[in-house]
Amino acid sequence: MTQFSPNALCFGDEFPAAGAPCLVHIEEHGLTVAFVSDTTDGQPESVPFTSLTVSAGGLDHDQLVVKWAGQKGERTLYLKNPDVIRAFRQSAPDYVSHSFEQAAERVRQVRHRGRLVWSLVGGMFLATVLGLWFQSDLLVEIAVSRIPVEWEQKLGESAYRDFLSHQEVMKEGSAVAALAEMTQRMTTQIPDNPYKFEVTVVKSDVVNAFALPGGYVVVFTGLMKKAASGEEVAGVLSHELNHVLQRHGLERIVKSLGLMTVTAIVFGNQQGLVGMMKQLGVELFTLKFGREQETEADLTGLQLLQRAKIDPSGMITFFERLSEKDQGRMEWLSTHPMSADRAERLKAELAALPKKSPEPFTFDWKQVQTSLGP
Amino acid sequence: MKSEILYPGAFPMVRVELAAGENIKAESGAMVACSPTIDIESKMEGGFLGALSRKFLTGEKFFFQTLRASRGPGEALLAPTVPGEIVILELDGVNEYMVQKDGFLAGADAIVIESKMQGLSRGLLGGEGFFILKISGKGTLVLNSFGAIHKIELKPDQEYIVDNSHLVAWSSTTSYNIEKATSGWVASFTSGEGFVCRFKGPGLVYIQSRNPGSFGAWVRQFIPVSE
Repeated sequence: MTQFSPNALCFGDEFPAAGAPCLVHIEEHGLTVAFVSDTTDGQPESVPFTSLTVSAGGLDHDQLVVKWAGQKGERTLYLKNPDVIRAFRQSAPDYVSHSFEQAAERVRQVRHRGRLVWSLVGGMFLATVLGLWFQSDLLVEIAVSRIPVEWEQKLGESAYRDFLSHQEVMKEGSAVAALAEMTQRMTTQIPDNPYKFEVTVVKSDVVNAFALPGGYVVVFTGLMKKAASGEEVAGVLSHELNHVLQRHGLERIVKSLGLMTVTAIVFGNQQGLVGMMKQLGVELFTLKFGREQETEADLTGLQLLQRAKIDPSGMITFFERLSEKDQGRMEWLSTHPMSADRAERLKAELAALPKKSPEPFTFDWKQVQTSLGP
Repeated sequence: MKSEILYPGAFPMVRVELAAGENIKAESGAMVACSPTIDIESKMEGGFLGALSRKFLTGEKFFFQTLRASRGPGEALLAPTVPGEIVILELDGVNEYMVQKDGFLAGADAIVIESKMQGLSRGLLGGEGFFILKISGKGTLVLNSFGAIHKIELKPDQEYIVDNSHLVAWSSTTSYNIEKATSGWVASFTSGEGFVCRFKGPGLVYIQSRNPGSFGAWVRQFIPVSE
């Protein structure tokens, strides 16, 4: 015998448990099995198809299992060589190939079920990933909710003090008093308010107001001069206060820091964020809120005005007036683009709110404006 | 490749004799000592993607070592990381073994190592993870275990039940199903067995006498927790 390369394993009582390697040949009438150490008078054992039973077996049901009752007890043959299996299929008579087809069908079913399960699992995994990707706002919100208010205040405060040190701040006067009254009326209407709001009037012709995380609000005198009534300024103030309350600034920061940071915060590593936010302090002023955040601040701002019994229509009229073709520096508009949609939505929202009779402010707005100078 | 187990028991080594020009593969980091005639190369078995999939999917090492007797015959001493027995198997080209991911120590150059994905229930509950090594080809295969290695011989259709985390290697002619250790869910876990594998012959199943996961949990209780 030249090079003996077995193509199957044969199991039986006299063979080792690992199986005896053997060489299987498919012939017209059946198959022959030759062993490496052939003790049966050197002749390969030949088995007719009639005495065979066929099934599928092995770890993945991908092997052809052929059984027969030999002279020395039951023999089991495990075939996995595709060529041998193909030859077997072609030569086997109908009565054997019938059970062969049944076995093959079972293998196909097992594989099909396996593929189905895996594609289901893969699909679910993909859906989760995609869901998280598109729902990253949700992740951002979760992350933001885990950041303590004190940190937010620290972050906002450093930027705020830094900004004010370069500005002409109004410390007293009727304008400061008027803003204090508005702030007072609104903040008392905020349940469980964790923020100590600080509203500063800054002398500047810029028509703008902004809020920093932690409750630091700046209103420029330019905006107060443009406003026709205290209610209009209160509308802007309410909008800004709600940016703080909804933690919009923090959401933008977390979003710009990226998803990795968000996940780090969600899973408990908040330390790293403080350092990163310090570097971001200056950039706080360049943060632009998203459209959804603006809408949210508008709506919650409107509700807050309503609760504080301040006429909410002031908010809308001021926005509308600013959006009309106007001269001067309209910074507030550049960060708060005033679309017709937005005004319409606010009007609709206002109409849906229960009517409350507004209470006027104690100050006289014209007097406040004249105190600001020309 | 002639191999011999030295110091059989908990802390064995394998001595491998290589003829000139012969080479073997071994798990990265397995080489303890060798003759100066032997060169050690790292090789990404199965190409870059194969190695990558092995690394990420089975947790096996990215590189295997190749020990090559390039300057004449020599010998090398190989040892596994964990205490436990070593077993040497001869693959004849027909039989093939599934090996759990930490079980491979070394093998002749002609053996073929592939990562293979298991079915969902076997992957989730079998204790070997979703990916195992399928080792076939022709030549010597050296496996290592945690604890002693015990060989179970199964006749056709003979069944045997093995705790899932004690598996080292099993022939591909066997098949197994995952099932609860006892008929009830609660009792399965309170008995400490959880899931077991019901093997069906014919073929060989190599099991290890210690469970690495349980051992890790046992050690963990003695590690001081630093705050």
